[in-house]
Amino acid sequence: MICQRCQNEASVHLTERVDGRRRELHLCVACARKAGLVLPETPPDLGLDSVVQSLISKHVGELVGELAELSCPDCGVRYMDFRVGGRLGCPNDYKVFSRGLLPLLQRFHGATRHVGKRARPRPEAAQRLRLRSRLREAVALEDYEEAARLRDRLRLKDQHA
Amino acid sequence: MTLDDLTKTSGEWLRGTGPESDIVMCSRIRLARNLADFPFTNRASRNEKADIEAQVRAAVDASKLDSAFFDINGLSNLDRQFLVERQMISSEMANGEGPRGVVVTPEENISIMVNEEDHLRIQYMLSGFRLPEVWEKINALDDQLEDDIAYAYSPSLGYLTACPTNVGTGIRVGVMLHLPGLVANKQIDKVFRALQKINLAVRGLYGEGSQAFGDFYQVSNQQTLGKSEEEIIKILTDVVPQVLQYERTARQELLTGRRQHLHDQVSRAYGVLKTAQTISSEETMLLLSSVRMGINLGLIDDLSIATVNELFIQTQPAFLQKLRGSELGVEERNVARASYLRSRLTNGQPEEQN
Repeated sequence: MICQRCQNEASVHLTERVDGRRRELHLCVACARKAGLVLPETPPDLGLDSVVQSLISKHVGELVGELAELSCPDCGVRYMDFRVGGRLGCPNDYKVFSRGLLPLLQRFHGATRHVGKRARPRPEAAQRLRLRSRLREAVALEDYEEAARLRDRLRLKDQHA
Repeated sequence: MTLDDLTKTSGEWLRGTGPESDIVMCSRIRLARNLADFPFTNRASRNEKADIEAQVRAAVDASKLDSAFFDINGLSNLDRQFLVERQMISSEMANGEGPRGVVVTPEENISIMVNEEDHLRIQYMLSGFRLPEVWEKINALDDQLEDDIAYAYSPSLGYLTACPTNVGTGIRVGVMLHLPGLVANKQIDKVFRALQKINLAVRGLYGEGSQAFGDFYQVSNQQTLGKSEEEIIKILTDVVPQVLQYERTARQELLTGRRQHLHDQVSRAYGVLKTAQTISSEETMLLLSSVRMGINLGLIDDLSIATVNELFIQTQPAFLQKLRGSELGVEERNVARASYLRSRLTNGQPEEQN
């Protein structure tokens, strides 16, 4: 856009409302100074970080700030991964992310408590989930001795399951 | 049982029997289940997915369910597409990766997808409007599988699923409806909006996001938490009869107001299907839909609903190619489709039927 007083590029844009009518003024920096406008020497700090933060809070809830980096010790999924991809990583995530999940469940299902068929209790299952996650870690670290030991423990439990 | 065996039969859910089967093609219930001691499919390693598959297969074997297991990785693209067309697997499963498969019964009323979005997606379908019966059967199957599988479950949140939109009962209760009358009188959108207001989802024949074709629509629950399986089924059994009533009224109006026009349209559709030399899938769906309504209104009396139901599935690309035993281009498929339609519609009893 061209300055309305000279032919330079306009970088100051003003709008004002007079009797309900909108008036626009586009000036270059020199003409704006001449017109008596006080311009800052350096670009002001727009506080983009806080703007982004408040947008996130507004759209995905206050808790995201705290929850965002929270991750599940069993599957390694972070709460933010779930918010981006829409999928949880393991059954334990429901416990780990419950503060973030409950409002979502309330919004989608209109409820936060299960009613209906009940599964049979399997108290040993959570422990096995943990053993498997340790096994994945051991394999990743190439600690094959530990991996073999964990595999044996899982196999033992398989027989009892 | 092999996939080729399936080309010679058709699913029980296409029989066109059971209550309200003039409009309700089939009743379907799906349960989402996961193994308690594994990460969900999207986070499971190859080895873990193979373990999950082995455990589920062992549980199915122990249940003595008469069925076959198909390893998706061992299937050609054509065979995968064939299973999608038969409603035995989702296209997500066909296009996925890693160890995964499906358990299918010879009547095709049961399919158990392994390592889809959830470790198990158990599906039970029966022709006609009989959701309570489907629930009774799938519930018993679920109990049997649980003898050998520890399900991921929390007393407060119910069955735990990879996506929180399925948590709780993990149930999707649905009916597949043929609604040509409501499409013709342009009331269909109004009906859908009313259904959506009470949190029921409306989808096309091939599920999520797919375009409705042949005037077939699936209506199902969306909410899975906070209501029991029976309560969710009751919502459907209360609401669906109202939709059926609207559809019947629409058909009667067409019949009384424009009988000749309707009879003409139905007869022409039947005529084209019986004589065409080349025909696209879209046109086939459109014409079959007319013919199906024509049979239900007594305008066609020498063709069974079951045959028309089957043709909706058996004029799909993968079925035709399996029948021919080779891959076909679009033009060749259109010729094969027309030829198959002629043989099914003019020979009286087709040889493919058992």
